[in-house]
Amino acid sequence: MPPEIFTLAQTPITAHAFNADRQELAVSLNSNEVQLYSRKGQEWIPTETLSEHDKLITSIDWAPNSNRIVTASQDRNAYVWTETPDPETGKLIWKPTLVLLRINRAATHVRWSPLENKFAVASGARTIAVCSFDEESNWWVAKHLKKPIRSTVLSVDWHPNNVLLAAGSADMKARVFSGYIKEVDERPAPSVWGSKLPFNTICGEYSSPAGGWVHTVGFSPSGDVLAFASHDSSITIVYPGGPTVYTVRLPTLPLVTLSWTSEESIVAAGHDCRPLVYAGSEQGWQEVGTLDDASSSKASEGSRSGFGSSGGVGRLKAGAFATFRDADSRGQNTGSVSSDTKLNTIHQNTITSIRPYDIEGGYVARVSTSGVDGTLVIWDTNEVSALTARMGGVRI
Amino acid sequence: MSVLNIPFRKIDIDKYDEDVLNDEDLYDADPRDPSQVLEEARQRQAAVRSSLAKNNTAEALEIVLENAPYGPNVDEAKEITLSTLLTILNSTKATEITAVIKSLSPDAQDTLMKYIYKGMAMPGWGDISGSVLLGWHEKLTEITGVGSIVRAMTDRRVV
Repeated sequence: MPPEIFTLAQTPITAHAFNADRQELAVSLNSNEVQLYSRKGQEWIPTETLSEHDKLITSIDWAPNSNRIVTASQDRNAYVWTETPDPETGKLIWKPTLVLLRINRAATHVRWSPLENKFAVASGARTIAVCSFDEESNWWVAKHLKKPIRSTVLSVDWHPNNVLLAAGSADMKARVFSGYIKEVDERPAPSVWGSKLPFNTICGEYSSPAGGWVHTVGFSPSGDVLAFASHDSSITIVYPGGPTVYTVRLPTLPLVTLSWTSEESIVAAGHDCRPLVYAGSEQGWQEVGTLDDASSSKASEGSRSGFGSSGGVGRLKAGAFATFRDADSRGQNTGSVSSDTKLNTIHQNTITSIRPYDIEGGYVARVSTSGVDGTLVIWDTNEVSALTARMGGVRI
Repeated sequence: MSVLNIPFRKIDIDKYDEDVLNDEDLYDADPRDPSQVLEEARQRQAAVRSSLAKNNTAEALEIVLENAPYGPNVDEAKEITLSTLLTILNSTKATEITAVIKSLSPDAQDTLMKYIYKGMAMPGWGDISGSVLLGWHEKLTEITGVGSIVRAMTDRRVV
């Protein structure tokens, strides 16, 4: 099915999260508030605004079973929001609970663990706060994963066993930690990542291939494989046994977000504004195409004649070249042509978040993306189209 | 203006940070000894000359881009490698460039991009004509895409 496209705002979307039945949506529109939407047919209707944070909300996650929202912000706080009846009116309202994060820099990313009894908050304080609920005091307390993180942690992802945690960091490393908390966790079964797993065990540490910040990390559905994308325009897939490490170099700008769609495929997106699909196994990985079939959008083929053959150049060169060529040989100032600023991708700016939307038996049939262009798109992961022929003229 | 000139702005605050992150923490150091690196650079220079004498540009480039020196304390080896590389670039016919680049490994292509930028950053562009470096840059970008430029910018293993 074709992608569903929703323009939610003219401002960037810094984070988005759906509830369990995908009828409600929480986004941060580059501000200190969470905007909730409710789905009505083909539209998202704004419903509530959650205000408690003082600064930009960097990440949102919505626990599907316990229906709780957790938000992380640059104000160094996280809140857990629970829907409870208002004591006076009886109406359901979202009530925040403060989390004692004990970090002195911005919180950058937050994710619920699979059992929803813990969540992990990445931060600029070279720390990951693993938070669990303390029944006695009735608040969320944090234990810190500190060593050997040397810089801001940009993303976290939970292993399906509820204990292991992957983290990508600006010190150019992706790591796998144990986030085992005695009070809430059962002892995990041994896995490819190790068998003895006290808190803060380092189960794996992998460098980005050419020194880029690790923007995003993700465990495969089984948890046996780790993928991360870094700012050196590459995506790396790690099988911890050997370890066997595959790096796919991109011909384009860096990826900043990824989501596994099955044990053998990944959808990733970033500064090139289109979701790319990677497929592979323990024998090797490669790019197989994109979900954004540019030919179906409003692209005009004619204006990029002569650039199609050079494949893989990316949009920068062709766009700049066309501008100078028009100015030089035709005396045209393309700045005045409105179509010049329009990308022929669906997202008109960097995609900052990609998340599983529709999961059928361990296989992700649809993913959702949001980005700097204020657009939310839901993609069918089976609609993969080849990329090579179109690379030369992404910008018209 | 005065705000920018206040002496406290020149204090090295990292000195007071117990857990300061240094450049060398961000990449794996070259395991080779600096003198060995220099020796290898000289050997490669000689090997490149003999490849060029045989008119084998692809082989010459492969030799010079393999195990390129990076990191601190190997400035002389870096200079030798750069000048060797610029000799190769300068002596290659424009029509051959694309085929030569295609024969390189992806690693070597990325390293070549680093050297092209290093060459362009030098005063006087390392005494070779600007069109040579720009020509190589254009052809290389056609093959590797802008991704290679991104990697040349992010990589702390500066050549």
